[in-house]
Amino acid sequence: MSISCHTAKRHSAAYVDGRLRADRRSNVVAHLHHCEDCATYFEQISQLRAALKTVPERLIPHRLQTSLQVIASRQRAEVLATRGSHWKAIWDKWCFRINELMKPLAIPATGGLLSSLVLFGTFVFTISTTTRLVSYEVPLAYSSQTEANLIPVELGSHAVFLNMSIDSNGRTGDYAVSDPECKFRADLEAQPANIAMPSIPTVFAVAQPISGDIQIKFLPLAFRP
Amino acid sequence: MVLADSIVKLSITGSQSSLSEEDARLLRGLRAGIESAYEELLARYQQPVYSMVYRLLGDQNDACDVVQEVFLKVFRSVGSFQERSSLRTWIYRIAVNEAHNHRRWFSRHRKHEVAIEPENEEHRCYDITPDPGPSPFDWARNRETRALIEQALDEVSPVFRTAVVLRDIEDLSYEEIADILQVSLGTVKSRILRGRDALRRALTQRLDPGLSEAFV
Repeated sequence: MSISCHTAKRHSAAYVDGRLRADRRSNVVAHLHHCEDCATYFEQISQLRAALKTVPERLIPHRLQTSLQVIASRQRAEVLATRGSHWKAIWDKWCFRINELMKPLAIPATGGLLSSLVLFGTFVFTISTTTRLVSYEVPLAYSSQTEANLIPVELGSHAVFLNMSIDSNGRTGDYAVSDPECKFRADLEAQPANIAMPSIPTVFAVAQPISGDIQIKFLPLAFRP
Repeated sequence: MVLADSIVKLSITGSQSSLSEEDARLLRGLRAGIESAYEELLARYQQPVYSMVYRLLGDQNDACDVVQEVFLKVFRSVGSFQERSSLRTWIYRIAVNEAHNHRRWFSRHRKHEVAIEPENEEHRCYDITPDPGPSPFDWARNRETRALIEQALDEVSPVFRTAVVLRDIEDLSYEEIADILQVSLGTVKSRILRGRDALRRALTQRLDPGLSEAFV
């Protein structure tokens, strides 16, 4: 089968290297018999290949040989240090990298930790004082400690107001009973306060007791005829 | 049962190492940190690797830098080498890749640099006057022509030059070249063909510019 010059040249590399299939090889040989240009081309490629094989090796410089021996020695020492374990080598490398990375952060991190400890130490004292029980300094009739003896109070009017001033410790600074209709019995004036005092817990805001005035309104459940 | 046997056989075939007995022994020595194994690896591969890298880069200093990088990588990666190819193919693959990376870096960073020192004596021999003999390829057997071949190689595109160097100077098989360059056999054939053709043209042009027109 006749082939073109282009096809013949396309097969030149495989032909010269002896890697061309027998049928294609015979086609190329037949083409080269009657095509002088292609025959010259193939001859040149063959000569070029032969010439390339005669190109002498570039001798390695002594300086490079020494460098390579140093590299080999270092790498061998590394292998011996890690006992040939690839994972240990990776682990050691990452430990080293993380150490290097963390060094600049060591002083700020320590400072931050110490600051937080100092702040906590300051506030822990405040927290302990604010949670202790408050002993109310109010006159408690018929009561002991925080348990008041709640006796019925006779209200002669529709509403009786108890105004109290509470300090920051939850203690009653002052109180007064107001009776707009003037029907509250004077001898029982202290009793609403006696009832109210133990029942009012200290109010806290942001872990601190707050002070202020409060008013309690007493309403009768039923009127005695 | 037959299917299971086939799968087992296939898996055994797939996991077979491409290493020769000698390579396997050398590899075991390297992994165990045996001094003689390191010496043997250098003795066996430092010269051919340097020579090949020099052909690919055409500069001694660059070749030295690259060869150091190559062996550093070889020693560091020897533990993770998966033995799917021969030791020589693996080392050559690293060398070709390093040379390629170096050339890329060179073209990006140093292309604007101008050499201050004049060219050395070795380069002067390239400027010889060609003899108007019957065929320029008759010159191929003498020393001057070999120098011309080296310079002509520099003019060939790096991709094709690599294929020609591996095939015609290092005398590797097509399969080994395909493994080193990580390309198909067809691509290897094509690159060798085009590389040789480019080299033929460059050489013809240098030897006899008038004659080269007839070959193109």
